Amino acid sequence: MEKFMNKLSESILDKFSMDFLRNQVLKNAYGNDDTMIAKMDPRILLVWYLYFALVPWFSDDVVFLIGCFLLVAVTTILAKVAGLVLCLFILGVFSQTGYLFLVTFLFGGDGSSVFPLLVLTVKVATVSLASITVFSGLDPDRLSNGLMWFGCPERLSFSIAYAYRILPMLMEEFQNVLLSFRLRGNPPKQTGVISKIKYLAYQIQVLIHSFYPLMLNTAKRSRTTVEALEIKGYRYAANNKIIKKMKLAQLKVQVDDLLFLVLSFLWVSIVVLISTLI
Amino acid sequence: MVKKQVGMNQSQKLMVFVLTMSLYGLATLFTELIPKFQVGIVEFSVEFFLFIPLILAILFDPLSAALGAAFGELIFSEIMLGQFGGLGELEKFITVTIGVYVAGRLVRNPLNKMMVGIAAFVGTGIQLLMGTVVDILKVQFAIEDFEAVAGLPESVYFTEGFAFFNDLLFSGILFCLLPTLFLVPKLYGKIEPLMGMEPRTEKSALSNISWKTLLGCLVAFAIAIVSEMLAESGMELFSFEAAWAESKGAMAIAMVVAALIALIVLMFFRKTTEIKEEVR
Amino acid sequence: MTQIKIENLSYSYPGSKDKVLKQIHLEIEKGEFIAIVGNNGCGKSTLCKVLNGLIPHFIPGNFEGSALIDGLDTKMVDVGILSKAVGYVYQDFENQIVRPTVLDDASYACLNYGMVDYLKKGREALSMCGLNDKEADYVFQLSGGQLHLLALAGAVALGPDILILDEPIAQLDPAHAMIIYEVLKKLNQEYNKTIIVIEHHTEYIAEYCSHVILMDAGKIKWKLPVKEAMVRVEELKRSNIYPPQVTQAAFRLKELGIYPWNKNLPITAREAVRSFCALLPEKERKKVFITKEEQNSTECIRFEQVEVTYRSVKGEAKTVFDKLNIKIHAGEHIALIGTNGAGKSTFMKLLTGLIKPKSGAVYIQGRATRKLKTEDLAREIAYVYQNPEEMFIKDSIRNDIAYAMQVRNVEQWERKTEELLEKFHLTSLAERDGRLLSGGQMRRASLAIGIALNPSILLLDEPTANLDIATRKEIMRTLTEMKEVTDTVLIATHDMQLVSEWADRIIVLSNGKVVADGSRESIFSDEMLLKKTGIQPPEIYQVAKQMNQSLECFNLEEFYDLFLEEVV
Repeated sequence: MEKFMNKLSESILDKFSMDFLRNQVLKNAYGNDDTMIAKMDPRILLVWYLYFALVPWFSDDVVFLIGCFLLVAVTTILAKVAGLVLCLFILGVFSQTGYLFLVTFLFGGDGSSVFPLLVLTVKVATVSLASITVFSGLDPDRLSNGLMWFGCPERLSFSIAYAYRILPMLMEEFQNVLLSFRLRGNPPKQTGVISKIKYLAYQIQVLIHSFYPLMLNTAKRSRTTVEALEIKGYRYAANNKIIKKMKLAQLKVQVDDLLFLVLSFLWVSIVVLISTLI
Repeated sequence: MVKKQVGMNQSQKLMVFVLTMSLYGLATLFTELIPKFQVGIVEFSVEFFLFIPLILAILFDPLSAALGAAFGELIFSEIMLGQFGGLGELEKFITVTIGVYVAGRLVRNPLNKMMVGIAAFVGTGIQLLMGTVVDILKVQFAIEDFEAVAGLPESVYFTEGFAFFNDLLFSGILFCLLPTLFLVPKLYGKIEPLMGMEPRTEKSALSNISWKTLLGCLVAFAIAIVSEMLAESGMELFSFEAAWAESKGAMAIAMVVAALIALIVLMFFRKTTEIKEEVR
Repeated sequence: MTQIKIENLSYSYPGSKDKVLKQIHLEIEKGEFIAIVGNNGCGKSTLCKVLNGLIPHFIPGNFEGSALIDGLDTKMVDVGILSKAVGYVYQDFENQIVRPTVLDDASYACLNYGMVDYLKKGREALSMCGLNDKEADYVFQLSGGQLHLLALAGAVALGPDILILDEPIAQLDPAHAMIIYEVLKKLNQEYNKTIIVIEHHTEYIAEYCSHVILMDAGKIKWKLPVKEAMVRVEELKRSNIYPPQVTQAAFRLKELGIYPWNKNLPITAREAVRSFCALLPEKERKKVFITKEEQNSTECIRFEQVEVTYRSVKGEAKTVFDKLNIKIHAGEHIALIGTNGAGKSTFMKLLTGLIKPKSGAVYIQGRATRKLKTEDLAREIAYVYQNPEEMFIKDSIRNDIAYAMQVRNVEQWERKTEELLEKFHLTSLAERDGRLLSGGQMRRASLAIGIALNPSILLLDEPTANLDIATRKEIMRTLTEMKEVTDTVLIATHDMQLVSEWADRIIVLSNGKVVADGSRESIFSDEMLLKKTGIQPPEIYQVAKQMNQSLECFNLEEFYDLFLEEVV
């Protein structure tokens, strides 16, 4: 427990570098804009995603599932996803099923529960990788345009683009506010278990307190942003179908997109074929 | 309903939306990275930062703040970090929206500490309760022969129930109730002028929660459950096994052939377009 | 042709009875380049928001009278139409950029208003603002100056005939500031746009603007051609506007009877050199060499082979410092200068321990920062940010100042807090939140917070940016007072008047290297260096230098002395 607390308290403020996080998120969004996935038509990718996000849940055919998994693993590599995202993926998949093994054993389960859980793991991993391919591989702007084409509210696509715009600014501000606390605060010394917990409590307190200045500063920003949006005709355009069409006119399905779709389809069919032959 | 909201015009609502989205989004970006107590699909979902949208919903327009929070979480922690779980995210989206919205509507005078406290606690409670219900249903659907796996149902009910009370007491009090009680009076009267608005008072507050609102919340919750089910399992409609049952092999071969033909045609197209471009 | 016509305009913000604008009458002709000057809070920004229709369309409130743009009443027309007539660039312009890529942001408004050729319009705007080679870049890759140009391009894209800019150069170094004004000049002269700037850098007003509007307490005092406006020295000073240094100098010399009473006062350096040269008494000038006593004080900061790199989003990591070596002694007052992005902030962050060097080491009082936590450094070092808002972490100035002492149980912290409040003239504001104060008050409060723990090293990042000249003078006075309190002070700044009046050692950074290190005399007289780094010494220094290579004046008093000795 001590070890865990130790790790937790270190991870929140000390080792955890905001620069690193900002860099990873931006890298994930923009650093891979020259990959094959990033250049694809978002609509095609979304359809593709829909297939791999839904179908694995329905099938219990192990060959088919592993086939799908391999395919999305390849696309994830093609998308050049940032390290942090992959790390989160592995942690996520493990924690979703890894613990389940333990708990079922704890309640008197036996080997019979292992197989369904293994299948579940592959399902979860496939769906997650498919989503990573699409949502991390695509440029946020193309993604939001794609979503808009499928009838998602305009506000969502605006928010996605805006979120990426404001993130670096917000993080810098957050970093500075935290630095203020570090330069002026006086955290408890870290020796022994109790003071470790105290230190953790202190850090959480600082995090919560830091949202007081952050809220006020961001409020000031939002005002300028929204006024600028009004001038730039954001609300005028939000409900206007012609303008929506203009925005979406940039989207063009190219041969490469169809090629990608067909290749995926081919792979899946081969996998299905193999599974029937076995 | 809309006409009563004299104090808030559309651009001010947009401001609240943008504010909540950026702040809560940023916060959830961090919680996504903090190691989680997770037991299987059962998640001890400590909402460390739910106090942010709660506070803003209490001070400003509840609906804008609620939607802002939901959008913020979706974009910053799901899409940006590639953790997007498909349709299943709709559940979180809707439960957060309802929880924050209800809390915001409960408070008529932000200076009334009692009411702010109740609202923060109720809002968190609603969000967690809905999450728990969905989680239990989800596990039941996700794992075939749920009842048959020895020890699984008990473990799920136990951990879910435990998670709910743990979350409610732990995150409900520590991370929602206390910060909200601490920050609302500090921010009240300070943050509004920065955004060019007037502070909420008894008079300018929205009317009490009506049956219509409640009904709306319930419908939304139903959608959340359905979407979660769709995402996780079910839908025997599309069951592939049924379609292949008769002659799986033939079907599969047909699929491969179709794919190959399409591939060849496309390759041909690609070549010709390349040539055209070169000619140009 | 009258383009803007305001009649009998009064306005108060919602929920407030005080009128921010009082019975304004104003006419602006097409093609004018106008500067609006006035105290902080005199209604400049409010007036500009009336012109683009934000008031009363989005900010309600009590609006009387009328404002006509090209004959259209702003109250009656849609904001969509108005925004095609009036473009607006905010003071916090980075918040008005809402899209992630450059071309996207520049063309965003055109797209929203349904212009089919929106991309073409965006590109045109970018090229007008000198950003044509950046159109595919992401916004976060731009420098501060480029961001400002992008905000401008976003406004220009809609093709408005009127452009309004709120303090366009507040955060920029002189080289970038000049770029902005050259762009504005081009827009004004080539594209015949009316430009309105809110500005308190009178040197730029004198150089670029055609007319000046003086506002005071919600009223317009006058609108005059720039030549007539800038010479009203006393009147401007009463409104806390300080005319260009050369104008002030000529005014003073006129008072002393040296400058001919019937001759117009110069407003730019060019004019000034001509008129002052004739007045300069012919006499032997012995060059005064102030030889500094040999420093034998202890070393307090040492950079040893410091290398710092930043992760970049794409490709290789970017190197900020490569083998940087520097020593700083206790008691020095150092100005750190260089263009935006030269590495000044990184330098300071290294000292706070926020950034650790990749290789090499930074020693503070003999201890390497690598081994220390930021919390432990706090006793030695205080860091006052460029943006004071990020230092206000408590809900009142008093709590903010007290916080660091309180959590450390400093003896008699209550009394010490009161003393600091008193010293920085903040007692009457003690209960207010820092963010709701004016620019100068904010800055004073942030200084008080910074020195609360009585640090031996004080770091100040741009302490005079975003301030009007009067407030700047006040801060400079405070800094001089603080010289006695704190030991070693390091200021990163673009403000050369501050540098020449305050610093006793100047370190010039350029592309992550120390390119010069020495006294103001040695730095300002090194023409090669100035050219290379884009540093511009104070106007009065340049004028004196141009009059005679051997002359060096770092402030107005020294300049008067050149002429005075004759009279005495």
